[in-house]
Amino acid sequence: VLQGTQKNCIRAFGINSILYQRGIYPPETFTRVTHYDLSLLLTTDPKLKSYLTNVVSQLKEWLFECTVQKLVLVITCLETNEVLERWQFDIECDKSAKESSAPREKSIKTIQHEIRSVIRQITATVTFLPLLETPCAFDLLVYTDKDLVVPDKWEESGPQTIDQPEEVRLHSFTTSIHKVNSMVAYKKTESA
Amino acid sequence: MDLEDDTTILTTLKSFNSFISRPEHPQRLSEHSAGSGILQSQYKRSMELLEAAERVHSKNRYLQLDQEKKQMELSHKRARFELERAASDSARDLEHEVDRNQELLGQIKKLEERAEEVNKKLTEQKEANDALQKNLEGLNKTLEERDDKLGTANQTIRSLKDEIRELRQKIQNQDSKMSAQTLENQELQEKIDLQQRKYQEVSQLCQSLQAAQSSCSDHIIKIKELERRLVFQEQDFAIVKTVKSEVARVPDLEKELKRLRDDNAYLRLNTFLKENCSLLKEEVEGLRKKLERMEKTKEELINMELEKELHAWENLGQSTGLNIRKPEDLSREVIQIQQREIALKEQNYTLNSRVRSVERSQSELRAELTQQHSKTLEEQKKREAQDALVRRLQKRVLLLTKERDGMRAILESYDSELAPTEYSPQLSKRLREAEDILLKTQSHNAEMEAQLTKAQEETGTLKLQLQTVSEPALLNSVCACIFFLRQKIEDLERERQRLEEQNNILEMRLERHNLQGDYDPVKTRVLHLKMNPTAIAKQERQQEVEALRQEVTRLRDLVRSLQSGGAVGHSQDDTHNPSFSLSLAPSKEVLDLRKQMESSELRNQRLKEVFQRKIQEFRTVCYVLTGYQIDITTENQYRLTSVYAEHMDDSLLFKKGSNGSMQLMETEFSKTLGEMVALHLHHQKSIPAFLSAVTLDLFSRQTTV
Repeated sequence: VLQGTQKNCIRAFGINSILYQRGIYPPETFTRVTHYDLSLLLTTDPKLKSYLTNVVSQLKEWLFECTVQKLVLVITCLETNEVLERWQFDIECDKSAKESSAPREKSIKTIQHEIRSVIRQITATVTFLPLLETPCAFDLLVYTDKDLVVPDKWEESGPQTIDQPEEVRLHSFTTSIHKVNSMVAYKKTESA
Repeated sequence: MDLEDDTTILTTLKSFNSFISRPEHPQRLSEHSAGSGILQSQYKRSMELLEAAERVHSKNRYLQLDQEKKQMELSHKRARFELERAASDSARDLEHEVDRNQELLGQIKKLEERAEEVNKKLTEQKEANDALQKNLEGLNKTLEERDDKLGTANQTIRSLKDEIRELRQKIQNQDSKMSAQTLENQELQEKIDLQQRKYQEVSQLCQSLQAAQSSCSDHIIKIKELERRLVFQEQDFAIVKTVKSEVARVPDLEKELKRLRDDNAYLRLNTFLKENCSLLKEEVEGLRKKLERMEKTKEELINMELEKELHAWENLGQSTGLNIRKPEDLSREVIQIQQREIALKEQNYTLNSRVRSVERSQSELRAELTQQHSKTLEEQKKREAQDALVRRLQKRVLLLTKERDGMRAILESYDSELAPTEYSPQLSKRLREAEDILLKTQSHNAEMEAQLTKAQEETGTLKLQLQTVSEPALLNSVCACIFFLRQKIEDLERERQRLEEQNNILEMRLERHNLQGDYDPVKTRVLHLKMNPTAIAKQERQQEVEALRQEVTRLRDLVRSLQSGGAVGHSQDDTHNPSFSLSLAPSKEVLDLRKQMESSELRNQRLKEVFQRKIQEFRTVCYVLTGYQIDITTENQYRLTSVYAEHMDDSLLFKKGSNGSMQLMETEFSKTLGEMVALHLHHQKSIPAFLSAVTLDLFSRQTTV
């Protein structure tokens, strides 16, 4: 369970840092928070916070049950309604480990180190991602098993893929139960 | 009890009421007949009734009082009960309080004891404090002493540091010098390297030069030799030339000889001149001598050629390096060489024959080797078969031993179970059955083993046949099978590779799709929150867009209204929507401008009218005074019509030229005035005179007419 909470914190921080870096919400709405020995940015916008806590709490459940396959952050342009960027986190869950109460084989320090590297990578990818000039909004998609019961506030949606994307694979990190691969796909700009 | 009382009360009341009502009824009936006796009886009855009623009432009251009493007793009991309970509770509370009190007292005692202890400790601590303070003072003193010492030490340290600094500076200077030196050293070394390289290059060049020189000298020597040879050759060539020329002369000389001989014979035959004979003889002798000389020269030539050949042979001998002086030597050499050749050829043949014999032996050995291989394989197979047989036999033995043990166990069990003398026929039957089964299984086993051995032998023979080239037909079929199987294998392998490649491609595609976010709809599902920021942003955007559209339509209407309002006038502005309050401010300017425009237009119009009037006045005055109406027909053309014109069309046309002078144009009327034209315009060159003459003329015509 500890690792689930850790993972959710990772998610939340990762999503927050992505939002800040890509300028989807104005930077004034973000505050600095120190976690895992790294200074991170969290949003202060109440609506956004409530949305994120909703998603994250649901994710925690699903992660514990090992029914989540992917978590995707989709950035769409508001004018043209097309998807400009896609941040995809593939989660590979070791289902057998769920039943056995295995002790924490990985120390907290290594997990923190990996989290830090992921967040640093997200910051570094901004250098080569194309600028988002039009007003954009983001959405969080969760790929789950088909036989899962859909809770109240959630609904089905499409995969929201980009046509002819450029893909970049980022670092992956593991805890003793899960392995997370991350990648970012963005739409090629015409000038490139 | 109460209820029963109530019911009794009610029943009594009911009976009373019925009693009262009954006498009333009969009372009503017997009203007329009753007299005073009736009244008395009525009074008595009423008195009785009253008494009964009073009794009933008193009973009721009694019952009520009873009830009340009982209730009061009950309440009293309850109150007492409650009081007792309260008393007991209060007693318990009291006890509790007492206990607590005692506990608190005990606690207080304990606390007092603790306070005493604490006080004692305090005093002890105070004493300790005093001692510590004294210690502190002592320590402070020592500290001060140490500080003093430290101060002195610091001073020494400072002085030492200064020294250190100076030393460091010196060291730095030294280092810098060292570094400069090392740099110089490096530079010098580099220079040295350069020089060494140059030296090496130069030495190489020298060596090459020397080699070239040596080669040059060799070449020079060769050249000299060649030159010498050339000179010899030229000499030979010259000699040969002269000899050739002389030799060339020989046929001529021979021809001459012939000719001379013929002449001689001819002379001899034809003339008998003896005088010429001696001359001729002398000539002949002379010719003979020449001939002899020629023959000598020929011999010399031949000798020379022979000598040349000899020389050549000698040169050959020198060039070939052999000790040759005469052709015999050459022939000897040649013979020797030939002998050597023959010997070598003999050796060659012997070697070839040996090689062939060796090859033959090698092939024979190889055949023997293959035979031995096959024999060894056969032996190995036999051995394996034997081993298999041995194993089988061992297994059989094991099985048999196991069976025997089993049988023995069964027998022993049977023996142990039953009495030793009791061998029932059942047991024996069972034994026999078991033995039969055993035999059957053994025979079956043997048959299977025989089949197995047969099959193995067949495979062994097949293999042997495959290895030895005994039956070509079987081999061919087997080969064909093998070939066919091999082909099949190759085809399958190719297909497998193809399928593997396809698989890889599909896997790559799948992975790429997975990367792009594709998913298998059978296994996975994509979810997101309904109230997600994108949806919210989209809604807001739509609302914005709609609001903007509404504003746009509103602004368009306003603009249209403004445009239409401007044409009509500002009086209509009041009828517009009060929401157009924004346009009031600019419409004031518009109104002012409109007013200005109108006033200016009015002014224009008035001016126009005034001008027209004035022009009209002026024209009429002109017409009246001068007698001509001047009209401008076209640019620079003026038409004058007289007052006294006889016809309407009689008019004079004047054209204004480029230099400003007026010229009369030809018209119908002007043709009739030819004289006046000639007089006034051509001679006098005055148009006013002409015009006045015309008017006078017309006037005179009019008045006369």
